[in-house]
Amino acid sequence: MAAAAATAATKGNGGGGGRVGAGEAGGTRKKKGPGPLATAYLVIYNVVMTAGWLVIAVGLVRAYLAKGSYHSLYYSIEKPLKFFQTGALLEILHCAIGIVPSSVVLTSFQVMSRVFLIWAVTHSVKEVQSEDSVLLFVIAWTITEIIRYSFYTFSLLNHLPYLIKWARYTLFIVLYPMGVSGELLTIYAALPFVRQAGLYSISLPNKYNFSFDYHAFLILVMISYIPVFPQLYFHMIHQRRKILSHTEEHKKFE
Amino acid sequence: MKHYEVEILDAKTREKLCFLDKVEPQATIAEIKNLFTKTHPQWYPARQSLRLDPKGKSLKDEDVLQKLPVGTTATLYFRDLGAQISWVTVFLTEYAGPLFIYLLFYFRVPFIYGHKYDFTSSRHTVVHLACICHSFHYVKRLLETLFVHRFSHGTMPLRNIFKNCTYYWGFAAWMAYYINHPLYTPPTYGAQQVKLALAIFVICQLGNFSIHMALRDLRPAGSKTRKIPYPTKNPFTWLFLLVSCPNYTYEVGSWIGFAIMTQCLPVALFSLVGFTQMTIWAKGKHRSYLKEFRDYPPLRMPIVPFLL
Repeated sequence: MAAAAATAATKGNGGGGGRVGAGEAGGTRKKKGPGPLATAYLVIYNVVMTAGWLVIAVGLVRAYLAKGSYHSLYYSIEKPLKFFQTGALLEILHCAIGIVPSSVVLTSFQVMSRVFLIWAVTHSVKEVQSEDSVLLFVIAWTITEIIRYSFYTFSLLNHLPYLIKWARYTLFIVLYPMGVSGELLTIYAALPFVRQAGLYSISLPNKYNFSFDYHAFLILVMISYIPVFPQLYFHMIHQRRKILSHTEEHKKFE
Repeated sequence: MKHYEVEILDAKTREKLCFLDKVEPQATIAEIKNLFTKTHPQWYPARQSLRLDPKGKSLKDEDVLQKLPVGTTATLYFRDLGAQISWVTVFLTEYAGPLFIYLLFYFRVPFIYGHKYDFTSSRHTVVHLACICHSFHYVKRLLETLFVHRFSHGTMPLRNIFKNCTYYWGFAAWMAYYINHPLYTPPTYGAQQVKLALAIFVICQLGNFSIHMALRDLRPAGSKTRKIPYPTKNPFTWLFLLVSCPNYTYEVGSWIGFAIMTQCLPVALFSLVGFTQMTIWAKGKHRSYLKEFRDYPPLRMPIVPFLL
């Protein structure tokens, strides 16, 4: 879901740094973009993020070559992964101050679900860090983010290679399900350890008359993927049809 | 007297949906909606939005055909607002739920807590007090819906009832679960805390009711007029000097009182969420007041005196 959501379309070209728009893409670009200072900042932001995720990609490849196996690669890219994924919280701010035309609510949801998986699941439950499912979603996220951030960079500079646009709106077809699988398997793997340790849970009696069962919460999170993932996935498919066919028509007239 | 012709087109497809001839010049939009329903019975008046411009604002039911900027052949654009449900129905349903649900937990109906607690009673006074307060609050809301409030809109979209009931019923169950739990811990500062909190709750309930009555008296029965509310002889209404929506101020106050009284975190969270929503509503209302009335009192804030 975090993987799915992050790939979801923003408005056609102009959405530098933004995420899922309020539906429409491509089409009318009557809105003014961000001012020159904001554009410069966003270009820098998106370049840095692209670079960051490239570092993670390279880190994964090097670790794989060094170890000779694809198990437990998480440890080699743990720090940049945490840094750059958490850094994406800035994107919520970008929407809030209006330099990116996406919905604050939607962006928050997407970023928070990523951050949740990184910190509240993978970081907190040490035993799952060696699981292969972690690699599954890390790879999905890495490829997705490299494409996404370069997409925004190029869009802001008004020079978007068709390849990047194509990649953004096509690779998700595989990367989404891959990421979602990785995420779900990781949460599932974490369950017994959460229960055993009573992680992040509080039980009665206590003076604030409150209880929270993190184990049950994680199960609810897993269940929530059922309605949310198909919606996001088909939204992207719909966007793909709109945006890639639109470009085809434009190319005819060039 | 010259009659008008009215054609109604679909706002999205521009398809001609209905043609009315010999319409009286003094006909209101409400009457036109009724005529439209005759040819399209699935679109009852409450779900019709008629406008002069396909992307413009909806015309009001009271608008008179003659007074609109149209020729003798008027073109109106129709938009389906979706299934509608009356405000009264929504309010009654969303308030009856918490009243009933809380009592299920209070009486410790089976399958909520362990079987050995079925139908037992709490030994803490504050738990009984809380039940009285919570029940009183929702009974008050139900009675106000039936006898006090004068709604400007008759209906709202049907999906709102599911959204609203989930919110009210869900939170009621969540807080009732903890307050009536066999392992409930009474407030840290004991009877003192409970008494103070109860006083806050009662004062705010009286305040909230006073504001509802004052607002009702601003608007004659059956009308939809809007006037600036002012303080009356009732001291609870003097809060109008400082805020536009003292009813919301008192409502938040009641729940803060209830939260302190029960010392229950879910209640505090419910208060916070409610406060957030009411602040959004208060700001909207405040903005409408400022737009509509040039002489609106400048000292007033939307919901929190001097602050918000």
